This record gives sequence, C-alpha cells and structure tokens, in this order.
Amino acid sequence: MSFAGPPRLRPPRHPVDPRARRWWTAQALLTVSGPMLLTAVTLLALCLLFFAGALPWLLPLLAVVLVAPACAYAVLMPRRRYAVHAWEVGTYSLYTAGGWLWQKRRVAPLSRVQTVDTLRGPLQRRYGLTTLTVTTASTAGNIRISGLSDADADTLAEHLGRAAQDTVGDAA
Amino acid sequence: MSAPAPDVWLRPDARTLLVHCGWLLPPLGSTTLTALATGGRFPPSALFTLAAVAVSFAAITGIGHLRWSRTRYRVTSDAFELRGGVFSRTLRTMPLSRVRGVDLTATPLHRLLGLTVLRASGTGGAETVLNAVPRAEAARLRTLLLARATPGRAANPELSSVDWRWLRYAPLTFWVLGGVGVAAGTVYRVLDGVGIELWRVGFVQDAFTEFGRSALWLTVPAALVAVLALGSVGALVLYVENWWGYRAAWTDADTLTVRRGLLTTRSVALERSRLHGVLLREPLLLRAAGGASATAVAGGLGSSEEAHARGALVPPAPRHEALRVAVGTLTGSGARDEHPFDGVPLTPHPRVALRRRVVRGLLFAVLPGSVALLVLGALFTPVLLHLAWVYALVTTAVTVLLARDAYRSLGHALAGPHLLVRSGTFSRDTLALERRAISAWTLTTSPFTRRAGLVTLTAAVAAGEHGYHVRDMEPGAALALACAAHPGILEEFLEPA
Repeated sequence: MSFAGPPRLRPPRHPVDPRARRWWTAQALLTVSGPMLLTAVTLLALCLLFFAGALPWLLPLLAVVLVAPACAYAVLMPRRRYAVHAWEVGTYSLYTAGGWLWQKRRVAPLSRVQTVDTLRGPLQRRYGLTTLTVTTASTAGNIRISGLSDADADTLAEHLGRAAQDTVGDAA
Repeated sequence: MSAPAPDVWLRPDARTLLVHCGWLLPPLGSTTLTALATGGRFPPSALFTLAAVAVSFAAITGIGHLRWSRTRYRVTSDAFELRGGVFSRTLRTMPLSRVRGVDLTATPLHRLLGLTVLRASGTGGAETVLNAVPRAEAARLRTLLLARATPGRAANPELSSVDWRWLRYAPLTFWVLGGVGVAAGTVYRVLDGVGIELWRVGFVQDAFTEFGRSALWLTVPAALVAVLALGSVGALVLYVENWWGYRAAWTDADTLTVRRGLLTTRSVALERSRLHGVLLREPLLLRAAGGASATAVAGGLGSSEEAHARGALVPPAPRHEALRVAVGTLTGSGARDEHPFDGVPLTPHPRVALRRRVVRGLLFAVLPGSVALLVLGALFTPVLLHLAWVYALVTTAVTVLLARDAYRSLGHALAGPHLLVRSGTFSRDTLALERRAISAWTLTTSPFTRRAGLVTLTAAVAAGEHGYHVRDMEPGAALALACAAHPGILEEFLEPA
C-alpha cells in the first residue's frame, strides 16, 4: 500500500443505534445531572425557607456550579458520544471508537478474540440496547461496544464467535 | 523424598500447621513488651488483647487444621490438581500446558521449618498456591509442572549474580525518605498498640522542647541529615534483604530463573515463550549516578503490580550491567549481537509535547503552591509574600528543566524484532517490546492532545502491564509506527489523507 500523504485512520463504518442517545441521556439524568439538579433545588428550597437573605448570591452560585454543568452534561455528552461511538468488523480485525472527551479507537485482530459477551442492563432493555464485550488475552486489547441494537449485537456476537473459533489456538 | 507414583494424591507437609501459628508472634511480642514496660502488671486493654488472641488462636488453628487435612494435590500426566476447601469442597485443575511459571517462596518461618510455598501461575492470571511442601518436594513439583518446556542446556546460562559493590546504588531510591516515614509510623503504632503514649514520655517531650529552643538554622539541617542517614541505612538493609544470593540464569534453553532474597527467598521461573520484553528503569537519582534496573515484561505473573515485583530481573546496578541482563533476557542466553538499546537513535516526538510538559508542570507544581502562599501572605504576614515569589521562581526553573528532560526522554524506534519506547523523567523507562506479541492497537486522544494535534498510541500485550503507551505522537507517525511494528492489524481501516 502506498499513500500520497501520511495515512489516516478513518472512523469505523457503523454508528451505534440512534436510541443510544436517549439511553445515555437517561443515564446522565440518573447518575450525574439528576442528583446535581436535585441538590440545587433542595438548597434553593432550604434557602427560601430559612435564609431568604442569601438568595442574591446563592442563586448565581448554584446556577454556575450545579445547574449549568448538569444541563451541559445531559445535553452534550449523549450527542458527542453518538458522534464518536462506532464499530466495524473488517476482514482481519475488529475496529471500534468510543468515549466523548477522552476518545479511544481500538483495533484488535479477530484471531485474538477469546470471549464474546453481551450485556443488557435494565435501563438498556427499555431502549432495546445491548453492550458487547470482546476479551483478548491482554486486558489492554479488550473491546466494549455500548449502545448496539439487540439485533446488531446478536449478529455481531455470532460473527465474532465464529471468527474466534476458526482461528482457535492463536488467541493465547 | 523419593518420587511417589504419579496420580497419587499427596498432602502438604504437616509442619504447615506450625506456619499458621506464625501470626501469633507480633501480639505475643507486644504483650511481652507491655509486661516489661509495666513491670508485670497488665493494663485491662492488654488483657483484652490477650483474650482476643487466645480466641483467634483457637479459631485459626481449628480452621487451619481443617484446611490442611482436606488439602490434597497431585500432578497427573497433563494437569496439576489441587483439592481443598474448608466449608465446601473444591477441586482446582490446572492443565500443564497452561502453566506459565512456577514461583517458590519461603518466609523466614517457612525456612526455619524447611518448607516452601509453591505458586503456579497460568494463562489469564490464574494462580494455584500450594502452602507448603518440603523444599525437595517443591523442586520436584516445579520440574514436573514445567515439564512441557523442552529440556536442554543453554550455551551460556548465567546472566548475572549479585555484586556487593552495587550496594552504593541502594540509597538512591525513594526509600531513603519514604522508608523513614514508614518506619516511624510503624514504631508509633506498635507503641500505641501496647499502651505507651509517645508524647507523654518525658524523654521525648524534653527532646522536643530542646529542639525548639536550639538554633534552628543548625538543628534543622542536622535533623535532615540524620533522617537521610537513617533512610540510607534502611535502604541498604532492604537491598540486602531483597537481593541476597541474587542470580539470574537460563536454567534450560527456555526458562530464565531469577533467585533472590535473604529472609524471604523467591525464585521466579520465566518461560521464554511468555517473555515479551524488558523494561529498563532509570529513576532520576539512579540515572544521575549512572545506574539502572530492569524488569521483565512477562505473562502469567499476576496483576500488574505483582508482575512488576515478580518480574524484577536485576537490582539497581551499574547501567551497563542492567543493560547486559536486559539484552541477555531478550536475546536468549549469550548476548550474541549487541542489542541496540542505545545503538538505535530514537525518533523524537513533536515539539508540542515539550509545551504540554511545561504547562502541566506549571499547572500542578508552580500554581497551587504560589497561590496558597500568596493568599496566606495577604492574610497573615508579608514574609509569605516574598516566599511566594521565591517559590514561583524556583519551581518554574525546576519545572522547565524537568520538562525539557522529559521531552528529551520521549522517543520510539524499531530495533529488529523489538519496539523501543522511552519516556519519563522521574523514572526514565526504556521499553523493548517484542513486536510479534502486540495483540491490539489503541489510539487515544484527550481534549488537550486534540488541541495540540497529538495522539497516544497503546500497544496491548498479554504480559506485564498489558498496555504500553507511546505518548504524544503525531497521528500520521503513530499510524506508521503501528503498521511497521506489527503489520496486519489496522491497515484495512486506513485511507489516504
């Protein structure tokens, strides 16, 4: 292979399921943004009830420290993730991209695949999504694809399982 | 011990039961200390301790006996089997083809009783521990477990053995200062445990009042020197304990055995097929004195921290000696061709990497201290304000120096069958990783590296720390390196820019 300029690693072909955006939003609301907003509301209520005088400085403080980051996280994180997360099975390798602020692209040869697991959490089940985990002998070679549709995950797991079986013995 | 017939279930040595009583020593020792300190009159807390010790002794001895009586092991023609369990019966079968290494260790108590703990580690971090068998039996088991390795003598078996002139490198480690802190903490806790309150002892109180009244410009440096001297002695002791009887040798064509230790002897057998590289470590002080140490990047040594401790190949020693062992480990027995650890020029990384290191230093070292001093100075005394600018100046200078050094360290190259990667300033680490062993590539970016147009390349191997990073590369160079180092993984996803 010879390229004119320096080579570029193109993003993987298949984006994850669009429903993943809603799943990530729900996750954000449950784990980070929700508790932060709830804290802000509680503090505001306590302030109104007992120290109404503190309102002029507490209101902007809460807005900057809790409300704005919580909203930004719930809105930005799922979008960025959806833009980044993708996967592709090539002839020889499995290729995935993930993350949002810290982004990761990993390529692992199909011949090194040891196990293929699928995971459907209660929240994921509501959106019909599956997380697929592929392990190799090296923990730094393990691959996780989250936000796959159930059907995609099943086909992929079957395909990867077959590929791993075809090349058994090379995995160690 | 004559070799028993195969397939017969054997028991650990009965003396193992005595080993289980070893934990009694510290509480009994501290109780004796209390008795001596109080002239035979036990405070109620000590009586409680004694009662608790008695109850635990009964429980632990009971369980220990149960465990011992239920433990059986055997080596069949194709597996190592260990039966055991206290409340439920377990049977652990480790196929001999999966055994990656056999590690024999003995605590002082084990040695006193002539026993050895055998630790067979397998693929995927599986570990089977047999505690404890007589030394001869352990050696026999190890031969059996590693029988799958093809026998045959290596041409030039011995790589290195201990040279006590290396002791001069011992004080050049973290333990000089950290060790004193740890030791002081331990002493305090032991005394506290037996009911002696250090701050009430007249002698200590007097010492502190004297110290405060004396000329501080003289006594503070003196105290520092004393701590350094104490720490150096501790580091020497630790070095001797860790590396007594050190010998690294190819015991057969495919097994590198590293033996070491005074009170706790350990012997680690590294199989050539699991040996995927070497990490040459040069911490700042050691590097200044021309020393280095080396660690094997090998599979089947447990978690990454365990792998680091168990993979030690050579203690802090002269750099050429550490290099010799590293090369001998990589190339097999005789260092036929000089492995180019130093010979190959490393490709430097983009200049932006230097800026990142300077900024990081300013952000985490200079800024917090200066701001804290400024705030305190503004609140309390102008002396601190002066201290703040002095601190800022000095730390900035040091930061720039260290950042330049860190940037100079950064580099990578391909050297024959190995990928060379160097990085770090506090500990300059040079990694030689077997290219064939790399099983996946990862490219990582953070918001900061994206802004600088850099990327970190990670090579995955089933050994050592599993992920080895080549930090702050140009994206194109990272891909070119990945393709050249281990072709056939990510080519199909490339496209012309």
